[in-house]
Amino acid sequence: MSNWLPKSAAGKRWLGLAPSYFVIGIFMLVPMIIMGVFSFLEPNPYGGVKPVGSVAAYVKLFFEYDLEDQLVFNPGYINIIFRSFQLSFGATLMCLIFGFPVAYYITLQPESKRNFYIYLITIPFWTNLLIRTFAWIIILGRGGVIETPLLAAGIIEDSLRMMYTDGAIAIGLTYSYLPLMVLPIYASLEKIDFRLLEAASDLYASRFEVMTKVVIPLCKPGIIAGCLLVFIPCLGAFIAPNLLGGGKKLMLGSLVQFQFASARNWPFGAALSMLLLAAVVVVLIFYARAAKNRAAMEGSA
Amino acid sequence: MTSAIDVRGITKIYNPNSNRPVKALDNVSLTIDDNEFFTLLGPSGCGKTTLLRLIAGFEQVSGGEITLFGDEIENLEPNRRPVNTVFQHYALFPHMTVAANVAFGLERLKKPKAEIEATVERVLALVKMTHLADRHPNQLSGGQQQRVALARALAPSPKVLLLDEPLSALDLKLRQAMREELKQLQRETGITFVFVTHDQEEALAMSDRIAVMSDGEVQQIGGPTDIYEHPVNRFVADFIGDTNFLDGEIVSLNDDLVTCRIGTKSMYEAENSGGHKIGDQVTLFLRPEKITLSAPDEASAVDTRPGKVANMVYLGNQAAYTVDMGDGIELVAQARPREDGKLPFTMGDPLAVGFSARALRVLAQ
Repeated sequence: MSNWLPKSAAGKRWLGLAPSYFVIGIFMLVPMIIMGVFSFLEPNPYGGVKPVGSVAAYVKLFFEYDLEDQLVFNPGYINIIFRSFQLSFGATLMCLIFGFPVAYYITLQPESKRNFYIYLITIPFWTNLLIRTFAWIIILGRGGVIETPLLAAGIIEDSLRMMYTDGAIAIGLTYSYLPLMVLPIYASLEKIDFRLLEAASDLYASRFEVMTKVVIPLCKPGIIAGCLLVFIPCLGAFIAPNLLGGGKKLMLGSLVQFQFASARNWPFGAALSMLLLAAVVVVLIFYARAAKNRAAMEGSA
Repeated sequence: MTSAIDVRGITKIYNPNSNRPVKALDNVSLTIDDNEFFTLLGPSGCGKTTLLRLIAGFEQVSGGEITLFGDEIENLEPNRRPVNTVFQHYALFPHMTVAANVAFGLERLKKPKAEIEATVERVLALVKMTHLADRHPNQLSGGQQQRVALARALAPSPKVLLLDEPLSALDLKLRQAMREELKQLQRETGITFVFVTHDQEEALAMSDRIAVMSDGEVQQIGGPTDIYEHPVNRFVADFIGDTNFLDGEIVSLNDDLVTCRIGTKSMYEAENSGGHKIGDQVTLFLRPEKITLSAPDEASAVDTRPGKVANMVYLGNQAAYTVDMGDGIELVAQARPREDGKLPFTMGDPLAVGFSARALRVLAQ
């Protein structure tokens, strides 16, 4: 053996893991640190940052200067954050309502057909999300495919004004992230031993009770994973809010994008991103706790 | 005696509208008495599990009817039938404790809480699992899971308990112990058991009556000794236990005995079960344990035939001998090892083979 290799077992283990530490460091830690540092600097009006420390970005989240240069509470951004959570929650719920039956249906198909259906679910990913979201403008918009026939049939007399509303954003988000709900739920449903469903109905469970007492508890990990996979990107989404919300109904993601692209306030964008990150971490901690409780409950280490 | 289950003319066809329909059951009728340990016995694919699933309600009948204590049930959903099933692979709910598994059926029936608790405790005691009530199924051994599955199915006091090869996943010792326990459990609870198995020993050991099935049809229904001693056809005789078959032709007969020519010139006498005539092609069957083997010089009985050991298989408590009887006839017989553990005969030894004509029976072709 060459003598430059570490002698101790711990040293060897570290050496073996070094490539993955390197990758994680370069692609995750470094960008995050840069973002954290930027959020504590002053903005350069021409883009980028000035190397001067400041907490202005964080102050701006909650306060603004009035005409007399006094700091006053500004609920504007908090409202955006609140709406982001609301819309993300709504979109997650809609994805769950539509995604669960789809996943369940696929599970009930013969094995040979299942992979084909899963393949169909992934087809939308082959086209750019931006283009697919534009399609929703044609569907929901004035003179679009929903309104036109209804107007022609005389069922409605005026435009439904569906575009540029929270509802339109929620529909766009639901559409964008629905596959991310279906796939993990399918993965956990597929593992369920369907003889358990027979056992439940043999023990006097109605179809509804078979669902609530056996199927849903057993695919809870998939449901939770699906909800996380939808909720987290929804919080940071900016395509659907920008296109379908018309840029008037801002969400966190579009706000961040706006700070970097148009407003040239990188520190504020970075501060918003840190806030988003904190929110995601909180959600994940809840998830980890729930998973740990479940593991403890079922007694499996 | 009242009948617990009446199966009348049940037919089950899988994929009836496809180009390859499969007939799993063909016009099956049978009656299971109340408080009976009834076994459906047959090789895999004979339709025994299908019949059980039709009674439980997991499959729809293609024709015929099933009544449970007089009520027609063949069109009810499984959760509306007062029968419970012990599944082959137990199908315990992995996300629930043992106690919650056992309580599941009672909770669905909306029993009062105190009653549920009392019943769960009683049933768990019955299967000796009280100490593991708070465990989850994945922390139990196969035998323990088996007991929980039994307790879960017994807890709602079903009118009939259906058991789908419940012992097949256990190892031999445990399987034998569970046989006795199951039989005892049936006696104690007084519930009708319908037990599906492919293991003829299991069926003989536990059942009050057995239905032997093959190819979607019932071949014979009767008590264990009936089935073993008086099989109605070659399939039943062959499936239950070890058997010697002798194919031949009846050459003479009287009220008690028929005489058959086996091979080219050997004559064998068998009990006359009636309905035979000279010239009939028949099969005689003879259980190995009905044959006594002795050395030619020790033979006391007059009616022995000469033979010689063609093959032997040592089985511990006995040895199975294949005896060459000449004329192309071979018989399988048994002999116990001597007290010193040595086997009484070895390969090529001449033998005196004795059996009474009453041990030979004529089977329908």
